[in-house]
Amino acid sequence: MYRLSKLRFGFPVGLFLMLLIDGAISQVFSVHMFRAPTAMVSHLVVLWLVCGAIFEADSSAFEMPLARWAAVAGAIFDLYYTGIFGIYIFIFPVVIYLTRLMVAYIRPNFLSGLLIYFIDITVVEALGYVASRAIHLNDMAGSTFLVNTLGPTLAFNLAMFVLLYFPIRWVYNWLR
Amino acid sequence: MQKFSFNRRLVIIIVCVIVSFALMTVSVTIRNKKSTPPLVQQFGNDIVGFVDRVVAIPTNGLSGSVSSLSELLNTYQENQQLKKQVSELAQTKVRDQTLAKENKQLKKEISLNSSLTDYSAVTASVITRTPSSWQNQVVINKGSSAGIVKNMPVMSGSGLIGRVAEVNKTNSKVELITDNNDTANRFAVQITTKSGSTVNGVLSGYKSTTGQITMNNITTKAKINKGDKVVTSGLGGVTPKGLYVGKVAKASGDDYGLSTKLYITPATDLSDLNIVTVAVTKQ
Repeated sequence: MYRLSKLRFGFPVGLFLMLLIDGAISQVFSVHMFRAPTAMVSHLVVLWLVCGAIFEADSSAFEMPLARWAAVAGAIFDLYYTGIFGIYIFIFPVVIYLTRLMVAYIRPNFLSGLLIYFIDITVVEALGYVASRAIHLNDMAGSTFLVNTLGPTLAFNLAMFVLLYFPIRWVYNWLR
Repeated sequence: MQKFSFNRRLVIIIVCVIVSFALMTVSVTIRNKKSTPPLVQQFGNDIVGFVDRVVAIPTNGLSGSVSSLSELLNTYQENQQLKKQVSELAQTKVRDQTLAKENKQLKKEISLNSSLTDYSAVTASVITRTPSSWQNQVVINKGSSAGIVKNMPVMSGSGLIGRVAEVNKTNSKVELITDNNDTANRFAVQITTKSGSTVNGVLSGYKSTTGQITMNNITTKAKINKGDKVVTSGLGGVTPKGLYVGKVAKASGDDYGLSTKLYITPATDLSDLNIVTVAVTKQ
């Protein structure tokens, strides 16, 4: 029962916190994460959303309005971080849609979750790259993007998934 | 029925893509043309910025203590070197003060109120950084209420690091010079060569593989040496004259071999920013 659980307030608070921690991590570890020419981009907010979709499928007791909150998180991301409205407000709900599609076929656990998260991060980064190329925010070649951005970003975010999967599951169970 | 739902999904996807591109185009246009974002966006950014400050306090405190621990290790050597520099610096500072005073008097003589070199500094601290690989942006904790206007130059340590890209009431976004996007406002810079001639040009981009800024549109064929200092020229816009950018690392022909292209080593580490200074000019 989503309506009655603590998750109703806990989920948005966690989402917003993850969104801000993304920026804080990028700022504190900027020397290591944005060492030219490579860039590691932290996507903890995506991790929180994807974990939401995974645990929702896992328990199959209730449904959460994930896509709506994903759009809200995307809107804040666009306005506060990038200043270009209309990119992540669509990408984050697409990620939720994709994840729900995948968990319908694959029974989610830690390992299959890792694979799902791999695909999600690739989609987030690829769509973000295409959008920013379209409005001339960057002039990076596709191959450069794969090597310098997508590779390190995947490595960082999968490591974060491994580290944070069980803590986040504990938080979700506590909030339920 | 199956066909119907597929069509509906396709329509939704196409509408979303169109709306997305429309929104992006509109916001890029607003970003380029208007001096401030729409009120709703400003208001939202101010609120998020306020909450973010609370989140940033523990993380920045943590990183501060870690970096102070690592800095402790080479403090002794640094201290020795700095002592030498300080004694030289005192002399320079006194001379600088005398010159500034003289300059002020001379300006008074010819009744010149403000020149291109005049600016006041507003110190701000960095709240957060955009988690994106192509948008090199930081959010600072001063906005239009502190007198910051769009396109003002921002410095950190000894050199120029970027310009103000978006101004809200209590925070603003700074686009670093490492950002390579098409719409970025370029700084007009100049070099005074060893022979005394002045070379004007424009900062044109950033080469991420070497970490160097490129400079184009160079006006003369004067000989430029490695190590010549590059400063802003104060031409065209709100940038004051004489902000230090970096040193010339290499001169080469540009992509078409028609003009000279310079590579500049930036004066500060552009990835490690905590406290920045915005140069506020009188308008």
